[in-house]
Amino acid sequence: MGNKIVVPFGSQHIALPEPVSFLFDTKNEIITNVKVDVGYVHRGIEKAAITKFEFTNVSYLLTRICGFCSITHAGGYHHGIEKLLDVEAPKRAEYIRLIITELDRIHSHLLANAHVAEVAGYENLFMQGVKDREIVMDLLENITGNRIQYDIYTIGGVRRDISKETAEYIKKQLLKLKDKVLKVYDFYDTDYTFGLKTKGISYISLDDAKKYNVVGPIARASGLATDARAEFDYLPYDEVGFEIQTRTEGDVWARNIVRQMEVIHSIDLILRAIDNLPEGDIKVKYKGRPKGETFVRVEAPRGECFYYLKGNGTKVLERVRVRVPTYSNIPILKELFVGEKYSDAQPIVLSFDPCMSCTAR
Amino acid sequence: MVKMFIESFKNLFSKPETVKYPFEPFPEPEGFRGTILYNEELCIFCDKCENVCPPGAILFEIVDIETNKREYNYNPYLCIYCGACVDVCPKADEGCLTQANTRTKPLGEEVVKDKKLGYLMNRITNPKEVEKAWSELEIRAKESREKYAEYKKQQRMKKRAQAQTKKENS
Repeated sequence: MGNKIVVPFGSQHIALPEPVSFLFDTKNEIITNVKVDVGYVHRGIEKAAITKFEFTNVSYLLTRICGFCSITHAGGYHHGIEKLLDVEAPKRAEYIRLIITELDRIHSHLLANAHVAEVAGYENLFMQGVKDREIVMDLLENITGNRIQYDIYTIGGVRRDISKETAEYIKKQLLKLKDKVLKVYDFYDTDYTFGLKTKGISYISLDDAKKYNVVGPIARASGLATDARAEFDYLPYDEVGFEIQTRTEGDVWARNIVRQMEVIHSIDLILRAIDNLPEGDIKVKYKGRPKGETFVRVEAPRGECFYYLKGNGTKVLERVRVRVPTYSNIPILKELFVGEKYSDAQPIVLSFDPCMSCTAR
Repeated sequence: MVKMFIESFKNLFSKPETVKYPFEPFPEPEGFRGTILYNEELCIFCDKCENVCPPGAILFEIVDIETNKREYNYNPYLCIYCGACVDVCPKADEGCLTQANTRTKPLGEEVVKDKKLGYLMNRITNPKEVEKAWSELEIRAKESREKYAEYKKQQRMKKRAQAQTKKENS
């Protein structure tokens, strides 16, 4: 047997879009131990939220925690502050919120899957995935006015309405997208070489998933049916017929398939939501200042996101706490590396779809 | 194999998916959140936009303390284009503060000049000076506020003194 060699993976790595550092102890390509550091992009956002910003515009700061989950953070904050102020958003606003949240999930999942395909050595599939993603980005730009930072949430409703022409346009584009996604789904499902690189890699059993408290598509790929959209009533998901998508294989391949299934399901949800878009106002007025404490759990593209808010009757909040899904998935990620080959490290990391800007904040 | 060749022939003659951006204009949709434009004639100087702006990209500087004349300053390179100022502006419907649906040009060889961008951007010519000028303005604006508050206080004291002397005389 060979000697022990320490191989650094990160903090800047070609496969990773964000800085995270893994130090692998390897023995003949087999990983024996790993050290993780996730705190490279700490910006002190939680502290800034309780010192520099009033509760009316702190959401502009919180949505800028991360580009992919910007709507999740807006959702987490606004559902919490609406509980504290005792306001209820109108039905039409809730539906528009749902549409944007699901569109955000689609583009996040498509890019995550494309990244896995890229590091597994399938560049063409990466291009196909990103090409399809552009349709969703255009839709989001059309509805909200920006590609990444939507800023559509406001306290007591949404800032922009969906017109009839836009609704028709969304429907047309989504049906086009569905055909393309189904075609790519076929590749992920049946391709032999992609399967060689992903099937059976980094297996998580159902017991392990429960023991390590895994969240998001990673848990659902192991057969653990956990989804904040079904468990908590924060947006009208049961009205549009939401179902949890699960697989039982628990490997890199299953995680990709779960994400792809969720993309198709999300498209269905949006189409149903647009068909049944209720009439009425998009905004209600609110009074007073937040007092008391509350928590909210919302489903980010990567899993369950937790928000804790505490107000003391002044303009500035007393505490804002965010716990993001990637943070809960780090312990199992560390366990998984041991016994795998170093060449599989990249697909394993990217199949978790880590979001470091969220984790370090 | 035959299927593959048909597919590749199709791709050879199909349109490209990408836009040749620097050579062709990149189309922005209607309702795109772009540059914030200001119209001084309609402004009532309520300072709501300054207070709501998350990064502090809008600043009002009091240039004349006695008449309370204010100058609007906007930094498009600090702006996050959220549009909160337009939402909060009481005269937004009349066109005092509006959000254009075109992007601001990047800070390259020269500073973008437009009367609707506020005073500071029209005074600077060298793009390297923008950051320095803005930080100086932040200090100046804060000081002008303090001076104005002091001036108001003195005015009030004077009035009170005058009223007291009137009372004593009568």
